[in-house]
Amino acid sequence: MATKKTIAVIGATGDMGCAFVKALANSDYRLLLMSRDKNKVGKLSATLKQKNPAADVEVVECEKEGCWEADIVLMAVPYEAEKEVAEKIREVTTQKIVIDVSNPLNEKYDRLITAPGTSAAEELQKELPNSKVVKAFNTNFSTDFTPAIKESKQIKTFIAGDDQEAVQTVSEMATAIGFKPVLCGNLSASRNIEQMMLQLIELKTEENYNNIIGWGQYINGPLNFKSIIR
Amino acid sequence: MFELLHKKFSEIISINEEELNYCKTLFLPKKLRKRQFLLQDGDVCKYQAFVEKGMLRSYRIDEKGSEHILQFAFEGWWAADLSSYLTGETSVFNIEAMEDSELLLLSKPSWDTLMQHIPKFEHYFRIIIQNNLVATQKRVIQSHTETAEEKYLKFIQNYPGCVQRIPQHMIASYIGISRETLSRLRKRLASHR
Repeated sequence: MATKKTIAVIGATGDMGCAFVKALANSDYRLLLMSRDKNKVGKLSATLKQKNPAADVEVVECEKEGCWEADIVLMAVPYEAEKEVAEKIREVTTQKIVIDVSNPLNEKYDRLITAPGTSAAEELQKELPNSKVVKAFNTNFSTDFTPAIKESKQIKTFIAGDDQEAVQTVSEMATAIGFKPVLCGNLSASRNIEQMMLQLIELKTEENYNNIIGWGQYINGPLNFKSIIR
Repeated sequence: MFELLHKKFSEIISINEEELNYCKTLFLPKKLRKRQFLLQDGDVCKYQAFVEKGMLRSYRIDEKGSEHILQFAFEGWWAADLSSYLTGETSVFNIEAMEDSELLLLSKPSWDTLMQHIPKFEHYFRIIIQNNLVATQKRVIQSHTETAEEKYLKFIQNYPGCVQRIPQHMIASYIGISRETLSRLRKRLASHR
């Protein structure tokens, strides 16, 4: 019998956090939900339990407490907020997997705000030097988590991290909620993965593709842009 | 979070602040609530757990569904299925929190790193494992040669001050007698006092 893993979701009521929590509530994980919006997170938890009485979900007030209990931390907060959150949880996330789903975009969504030669995930790793930061799910829109879209095509998610075991664990988590994991290498590969989301957003807005757009193919070496539309 | 661990290290080896700080980067802090598992039968034991607060028990369930308790671990104790931890093979044990607990977990790679980086930890862990081996040998031979009463009295001696925290049926399981036998035994001992 496998020991159940506990995932702390910070920013559980945001777009991405909420999508995650809904998908994960039906899999074999225990979820600790954290959000600044106490009212909304309470409602989210109640809804999940109503839909699936077996869902192992709980609201935790304090980020540090939640992360202390967790095996895996999912940071579903905007890039700008990551540093502040990292400060709070640093002490209790030593040696733990911290998943970075952020996209460091500017206000217009047309440029990355990270300096050249780094990425949001690498910056988070600097803030949490003893944690195992893994980049994943940032190229997935929240709508990718809904079953309707997944039935028509298995959506890929790109994963990067320096710790092999941590990457493997996140990969299993991605599979459990219906994604096809694509392992991209060490954490510095996040620079490419974050750039990929920028490309998607450009196409989405300029070509009006809305949510039908996503990364379908990835071949070793350069990205295959022809297959950007699935 | 590391006060007790630091104290326990210091009983065997002397470590300075820099070494302690390095040590802290290798341990995974983990809270478990009562009845949650650190390890379940069929999984690989990935961590040795140092108990900062609370209490753990490791046990095995036999084919008939009965629990056999191998060890209790209180504040300042270590718990793990060393066989699984060292070989990477799946474990037949369960390690469960008997109270809300705060643990410091050490993975095998982190353990190796710690001992390579600060060799005196080899000494620390040798003493810990040595003590554990002696206790285990004693326990094996006691279970074959001693009466239930002797085993119970040894148990109280080995877990001083903690007996009140353990439910009677678990003490019975640890000693390898039925709950009823333990109950009679306790009554007899009480009347002798």
